Amino acid sequence: MFCSKKKSLEVKRVVKANDREYNEKFQYADNRIHTSKYNLLTFLPINLFEQFQRVANAYFLFLLILQLIPEISSLTWFTTIVPLVLVITMTAVKDATDDYFRHKSDNQVNNRQSEVIIDSKLQNEKWMNVKVGDIVKLENNQFVAADLLLLSSSEPHGLCYIETAELDGETNLKVRHALSVTSELGEDISRLARFDGIVVCEAPNNKLDKFTGVLSWKDRKHSLNNQKIILRGCVLRNTSWCFGMVIFAGPDTKLMQNSGKTKFKRTSIDRLMNTLVLWIFGFLVCLGIILAIGNSIWENQVGGQFRTFLFWNEGEKNSVFSGFLTFWSYIIILNTVVPISLYVSVEVIRLGHSYFINWDRKMYYSGKATPAEARTTTLNEELGQIEYIFSDKTGTLTQNIMTFKKCSINGRIYAGEVHDDVGHKKAITKEKESVDFSVKTQAERTFQLFDHSLMESIKLGDPQVHEFLRLLALCHTVMSEENNAGQLIYQVQSPDEGALVTAARNFGFIFKSRTPETITIEELGTLVTYQLLAFLDFNNIRKRMSVIVRNPAGQIKLYSKGADTILFEKLHPSNEGLLSLTSDHLSEFAGEGLRTLVIAYRELDDKYFKEWHKMLEDANAATDKRDERITGLYEEIERDLMLLGATAIEDKLQEGVIETVTSLSLANIKIWVLTGDKQETAINIGYACNLLTDDMNDVFVISGNTAVEVREELRKAKENLFGHNRSFSNGHVVSENKQQLELDSVVEETITGDYALVINGHSLTVYDPWFITLFNIVYTSLPVLAMGIFDQDVSDKNSMDCPQLYEPGQLNQLFNKRRFFICMAHGLYTSLALFFIPFGAFYNVVGEDGQHAADYQSFAVTMATSLVIVVSVQIALDTSYWTVINHVFIWGSIATYFSILFTMHSNGIFEVFPNQFPFVGNAWHSLNQKCIWLVILLTTVASVIPVVAFRFLKMHLYPSLSDQIRQWQKAQKKAKPTSSRRPQTRRSSSRRSGYGFAHQEGYGELITSGKNMRVKNSPPTSGLEKTLYNSTNWIENLCKKTTDTVNSFSQDKAVKL
Amino acid sequence: MNWGGGGRKLMPDNSAMKQQKLPAHQLHFSARVVLTIFFATGVFCFCMGVILILSAQSIQEIEVCPILLYLFFWYWGLNPGGDVYMYYKLYGFYQNHYRYVLSRSNNQLVGKDIMVRDVEDCAPFKVSQNKTPIAPCGAIANSMFNDTIILSYTLKSSVHIQVPMLKTELTWWTDKYVKFQNPSLINLSDRFVGTEKPPYWQAPIYELDTSDPGNNGFLNDDFIVWMRTAAFPTFKKLYRRLYRVQYFMDGLPAGNYSFNISYNFPVTRIKGEKSVVLSTLTWSGGSSLFLGLAYTVTGAFLWLASFALMAIHMTMKKKKLSYRR
Repeated sequence: MFCSKKKSLEVKRVVKANDREYNEKFQYADNRIHTSKYNLLTFLPINLFEQFQRVANAYFLFLLILQLIPEISSLTWFTTIVPLVLVITMTAVKDATDDYFRHKSDNQVNNRQSEVIIDSKLQNEKWMNVKVGDIVKLENNQFVAADLLLLSSSEPHGLCYIETAELDGETNLKVRHALSVTSELGEDISRLARFDGIVVCEAPNNKLDKFTGVLSWKDRKHSLNNQKIILRGCVLRNTSWCFGMVIFAGPDTKLMQNSGKTKFKRTSIDRLMNTLVLWIFGFLVCLGIILAIGNSIWENQVGGQFRTFLFWNEGEKNSVFSGFLTFWSYIIILNTVVPISLYVSVEVIRLGHSYFINWDRKMYYSGKATPAEARTTTLNEELGQIEYIFSDKTGTLTQNIMTFKKCSINGRIYAGEVHDDVGHKKAITKEKESVDFSVKTQAERTFQLFDHSLMESIKLGDPQVHEFLRLLALCHTVMSEENNAGQLIYQVQSPDEGALVTAARNFGFIFKSRTPETITIEELGTLVTYQLLAFLDFNNIRKRMSVIVRNPAGQIKLYSKGADTILFEKLHPSNEGLLSLTSDHLSEFAGEGLRTLVIAYRELDDKYFKEWHKMLEDANAATDKRDERITGLYEEIERDLMLLGATAIEDKLQEGVIETVTSLSLANIKIWVLTGDKQETAINIGYACNLLTDDMNDVFVISGNTAVEVREELRKAKENLFGHNRSFSNGHVVSENKQQLELDSVVEETITGDYALVINGHSLTVYDPWFITLFNIVYTSLPVLAMGIFDQDVSDKNSMDCPQLYEPGQLNQLFNKRRFFICMAHGLYTSLALFFIPFGAFYNVVGEDGQHAADYQSFAVTMATSLVIVVSVQIALDTSYWTVINHVFIWGSIATYFSILFTMHSNGIFEVFPNQFPFVGNAWHSLNQKCIWLVILLTTVASVIPVVAFRFLKMHLYPSLSDQIRQWQKAQKKAKPTSSRRPQTRRSSSRRSGYGFAHQEGYGELITSGKNMRVKNSPPTSGLEKTLYNSTNWIENLCKKTTDTVNSFSQDKAVKL
Repeated sequence: MNWGGGGRKLMPDNSAMKQQKLPAHQLHFSARVVLTIFFATGVFCFCMGVILILSAQSIQEIEVCPILLYLFFWYWGLNPGGDVYMYYKLYGFYQNHYRYVLSRSNNQLVGKDIMVRDVEDCAPFKVSQNKTPIAPCGAIANSMFNDTIILSYTLKSSVHIQVPMLKTELTWWTDKYVKFQNPSLINLSDRFVGTEKPPYWQAPIYELDTSDPGNNGFLNDDFIVWMRTAAFPTFKKLYRRLYRVQYFMDGLPAGNYSFNISYNFPVTRIKGEKSVVLSTLTWSGGSSLFLGLAYTVTGAFLWLASFALMAIHMTMKKKKLSYRR
């Protein structure tokens, strides 16, 4: 990474606007980013260095050096260099292609165009040429090129809206606020070009939500905070243009700072493999020592005499020294014990699995035309071992599409469905419904969707129904605007409200516009303007919001909506009958998982209101206990309410969430939901998607606004949980402010993915280090790969139906140290059989033609052939799912073995290299002997049969789940195939009602202050229709990193139980 | 709604390969299959073992250890036995010693590079003390077995006739015609000018067989046999084949025989032993008892195992049935 070679540590940053010369002094990084690791020159050294950090590779390098010493060298140099070069080349090729794509995406990002003020003119400039201090113009829906100080925007008061999904995964819009002095600059290029403020601020860092700095301009200092900063990676929304001054560029931006170094992620299998390789080293050294001691003894007892024929140098006659040399020789000879090809095989298998994930039509989401994508190829098998899922709520569990489903007005239920996808990303600005609809056409439209009787009631003029809808149209924080095409656009900050307002609009009560003092609605065709007298904002404790309005007739009314538990206490006693009826309805709604709100109003008399209003103004002006006094006043006026009814909104769950969550919990995966929502919502959703069930008597909702609080809460939860019973741990809802995780469709992916991955665990056990000899790199690696990639021990359908299959993976039962030792024992046995059976058979034997048959070379050929056959048979037995490819690879590798054997032992190749291929004619002679085939057969039988017996016993005495399922699968195949869809689990739930689910406090104030209201009524729409940048690639790249960091960050906090 | 049509391209192919739906059969070993395999393999192994043991026992073999005797008399069994082969057998001779094995030059042995320019191959018998290259070089060649063994048949009490023996076709075809080649067919001795015989040898390479000029140089059968190094420290190598003429048409007739051995090869120094072996063959060559025994044992074990497995299977089945009830 180039950003890491930053010179001296920056303590603070000084930037002068529009002054490149001044800023150049500091040598700030420009806006070019590098996520790539290598370039042409550095590729070889860096990549080799990285690769030799792997224990096995380093070992082979060490061997190569050892082999340079002639006294020690026991094998020719190519026996070690060939596998090493093979392995290293393959890895290097993969790394190079990966990096090539990073280069490509870097280039694409760096060459993106942006508008920059240069020489007092707005000019197009590539992103990479944007410098610190430049003033950049952004348009709606554009990506922000660097970390900017917001100067001015199209919106009043220098407001602008950004979406930070790429940074922190939150999809709701955030407001950024320019300083009032700079927002006056507007879009006047000449004034902006003359802007020469100096910003002094913190050094680049990775804190996304913090910024401190000071802007000095025109001899005045203005303090800057995070509210004035737009970060790279954000998208400008609902704001047709804005200007910003670049503070941090390229690698210094918070986004890039967060991405940090691309850390090589290791899976637990990687770690286990490394440990095992180290153990194998230990084993190798032990073996070497034992053999060396044996050699010393032999030299001492026997070999000394045999030297007559060898004539060694005097120095070597010392048997201890000979043993020492032998030790190193054995380290070289036994190199095949170290599974150098293991890493490569595992990587190839992972790659294959990622392709299968990408190709899987069952993981293709047709709604968005996106197939599943394995973004990293290194972590696949970890998917089969997931214990915890940290999930975001909005967008992952729920679609964030609110639907007005039902309502209860004056004790009567109206049911139906009014669709509204306000709040869904793409629709925030585009509520494309014509404003000029008449009541009639509108009525006809909704008529089909909604209960006939509600339209009837509206037409009949039922005052309660009218009042109900009027309330929905008046009591909210929605902003409206009309665009050029005359379309009415609602800007909502909570999708729930959007659903309610839209519902009212569809029934003829159309919210048209608002000013700080008035709200204008169209009631069944007639425009009515209400005076907004007071706005009693929502907050967490109140769980309700109210407006006090005066209608044209002069009546003052308080309209209130809120959580049932709160509002029911505020009702006038005369409502008792209605209350119990509505309460029943609410239970019914909640039982269906709908989110309910209770709606009520109160008529106020003029005098009373005036008194109250005066008191409120006093309280507002007060300095001490201001909030308490205001709360008290709110409490006072929000009483004796008349109940109107209740609404029921469905926060649509993503398709299949319930099934998925049920499966996941059956698979013993613990799910943590991290959300910025209110507790009620979180619990509500938890119940809705089966995360929480009524028989769970201990539900912990952990909430906290800061990291410390969260940690504290978690500790408490832990104490509580372990005090009770550990089994409760599968249903926590973690409500954590401002911290969300982007796990997109992982939930869906994992469940379909798990069958492929459980298998992965299996395949790894095949790599018995004893089997992997030099031969295996060529002869037997392909069948292993084929098995690793294509094997399916249980069909996908059954693995879906039986999530418990997942558990062995979690518990690491498929590949662990115990398993490894079993493999070692198996390998040991096989190798003993492979040696001693031919040994016994060859001892003192002659060939069919009477010739000497027990020669060194024939013995070697017999052993090698037996080995290849035994290994192939072993793999054939382990393969439970025989596809064409498996056949080709398994039989093919045996065929390859024989063809290579015969080639290497052929006359032709010997005549060219007599010294390298001394085995000439051996294969032909040896394999012509019946006796040798009998030896091979016996060896195979003796090594394979015990394994079969062992498996048979295991399957009968301790059958694993997948064994049982396989058996069942087989039985099922015989029987008529029946559909085995799990019946849809019906949610059973007690009543839960909450308010304003994704609601935020403080919007009331914004409304009454009028800050977010437009001064002029014709916003330029150029930006509105602009399509999104087609920029998935780099954003994905960056986003990947951000999620990574966010991941590890929150895991740090959350998992420390 | 343009993302419906445009996105179709992204839809993964519905090929069997990509959807992991390749036609496949799943191996499932039911108890019946496994037990059948066990029984069948057991029967096969057991039969094989018995056959091998029987055939090994049909071999007539006699081993004579002429440690210090140069003349040795003995009696050959009941029937002539057909083809009879004569071997020399060495005990405790480490022809598989990893340095010994490497100490040769294949380049030299194909007649290409008589002067051995390859440095490492033949150490320490590459050049003699006066720096002339050795042919054939290396420890293997140097230690070549050089006893002469003559087998005599006592026709009558005092009439001994030499049993005719062949010294051809003792080697693999590839060894004789590919792996070992003389630098030229005529004037062999000229070709080896400038080289020296290995230190332990009594005659140079081109004078190994004085009776047959074609059996000299690197193509000498005894030499080739010796150069094919044995896998174990105890080994026997083919020395001569019986030439089936006259009295010996059907093999060696029963009677008294004697060996006349010229003792050249020193084995006592390496604490080894040597002996001479006369042997007949069966269909599987001169196989030892081991393979037959191993097959029999394996077969027996398989039978035992399959009975045990069957017992377990039965009890488990009963248990399952009782569960179901």
